[in-house]
Amino acid sequence: MGARNSHRSPDPKSDFAALQERFQRGVLDHDDSVLADILAGPRERRDVLLAVYRHAYRARLVEIVQQDYEYLLAHIGEEAFAELAHAYVEARPSLQPNARWFSHELPEFLQETRPWRDAPELAELAALERALSDAFDAADAPVMTIERLAAIPPTEWGAVRFVPHPSAIRFDVTTNAAEIWVAHKEGREPPAARLLEVPAHLLVWREDLVPKFRILEDEEAMAWDEAVAGLPFGTICEMLAFRADPESAPTRAAVLLQGWIVSGLLKA
Amino acid sequence: MSEAGPKPRMRSRRIAGRNQAGRAGATIAALKPSSDRPDFLGFGLGLRPQHYSEILEGDPPIDWFEIISENYMVPGGKPLHMLDRIRERYPVVMHGVSMSIASTAPVNYDYLRDLKRLADRVAPRWISDHLCWTGVHGKNLHDLLPIPYTQEALDHVVERVQTVQEFLGRPLTLENVSTYVQFGTSEMAEWEFLAELTARTGCFLLFDVNNVYVSAFNHGYDPETFIAGIPQDRVVQFHLAGHSHMETHIIDTHDHPVCDDVWTLYESAVRRFGAVSTMIERDDNIPPLAELVAEVNKARKIAAGVLGADGRNGRTQ
Ligand SMILES: [Fe+2]
Repeated sequence: MGARNSHRSPDPKSDFAALQERFQRGVLDHDDSVLADILAGPRERRDVLLAVYRHAYRARLVEIVQQDYEYLLAHIGEEAFAELAHAYVEARPSLQPNARWFSHELPEFLQETRPWRDAPELAELAALERALSDAFDAADAPVMTIERLAAIPPTEWGAVRFVPHPSAIRFDVTTNAAEIWVAHKEGREPPAARLLEVPAHLLVWREDLVPKFRILEDEEAMAWDEAVAGLPFGTICEMLAFRADPESAPTRAAVLLQGWIVSGLLKA
Repeated sequence: MSEAGPKPRMRSRRIAGRNQAGRAGATIAALKPSSDRPDFLGFGLGLRPQHYSEILEGDPPIDWFEIISENYMVPGGKPLHMLDRIRERYPVVMHGVSMSIASTAPVNYDYLRDLKRLADRVAPRWISDHLCWTGVHGKNLHDLLPIPYTQEALDHVVERVQTVQEFLGRPLTLENVSTYVQFGTSEMAEWEFLAELTARTGCFLLFDVNNVYVSAFNHGYDPETFIAGIPQDRVVQFHLAGHSHMETHIIDTHDHPVCDDVWTLYESAVRRFGAVSTMIERDDNIPPLAELVAEVNKARKIAAGVLGADGRNGRTQ
């Protein structure tokens, strides 16, 4: 500590830089060396004054995590959530200036870290909340309209490729996390967590500024995933025909496409 | 370690409305003081998402709004949509919390680019941030951290302000923060540091009356000395806010109405600095708009008491 506080470095910026380093360690790591740099206040001890920053750092970030995962908080309760949020704050210091993104890795943290990883519905509930937040302020883009689609000559239909709106996020869940989300949204007692027999396909997007999600049937999920991967519409129709009743495949494909357009899921 | 008590405010946020979600359903370094000083905007308010619809549906008597820049430094969606509508009707000022102008870490150009992009969209009357740092070594503490008032720190901040002003192509406005500690190495008072900084860089000052009150109490000096130490022609904005009194120190929480002592100090500040754009900052316990409009009107009345009815009789440019 003595060496750190001596003024022997030749670099003119080193005192200031070294002080910031000590201060940051004092806040992040509870290292007390910076106390030697701090004066006692007129009415308060220096350690109590430094603790204002230590406390504020954690309280602020914990509050951000709470606000970003409202239903996960409702689901596990305030005390358990506080423990989670504190663990996250200590494990994942913020690496970029905008606090908007601070809590972004919470689903992965839940997935990787005990005890939370043993309850997979928590990471999935968090992933759904994150996807809704991401859809909320994702980039704007003009949406595809029925009129615009109608302008495409029938001969070119097979070759058309559709581009998803930038707000669209598709992922599967293995638990009833979506059901749990809906229960919290409606202020009902959430169902007990359970593993689904087969994964559910979620699609999250923004429609008229409001983030939304729905659960897709297998066929729609497949068609959407292929469309997003860049497959032309004709190929998607063929895949639907291969999957089930070939007669009705073009109609099924058209109905899906119309649904996407009406919901603002495709970019113009 | 005691983990109780209020936390200083930092920023307001933003994802309000998310859970409506439902199932399917010029070389600025050479700026001459005062030549480019922005106009007096009157009496304003910090824009908070809770008030979007009240503002757009009503016609609240608020002269201008300040936005937290970071809340709109997002790709798109509702925040920017609402902001576009509000800026059609009101002058807007951008106020950031993470420029980290006094950090010894390298300048974050990604941040500055995003800030500039937002400024291109918003055309703010000015851009402000705080005289503080928010982290080093790639980490962000999301707090307004204190600096030692040394010659070395001053030289460093002067250089950074010049860099940022050149990048943004406009002067920066910097705010004094609430601080809870003082460093033993400080060689000058905070107001001397600010006065030097504005003289050397041409930056403007956002004078936060509550922060002066808080820091003066925490460090045991007379807030009037602070006011007297700031050059009269560099202050372009006042902040007024509430705080939490902890007996031995005060924490800048922005979760209460402005207190009487801060109103008194505001009157002194108006006497010294004249007609300066004034606003109320509230970041927590956000009340209905009408309550904040009442506080804005109180500021109007106090300023009119000092300057005359239109608030412009004092020092104007
Ligand atoms: Fe302020």
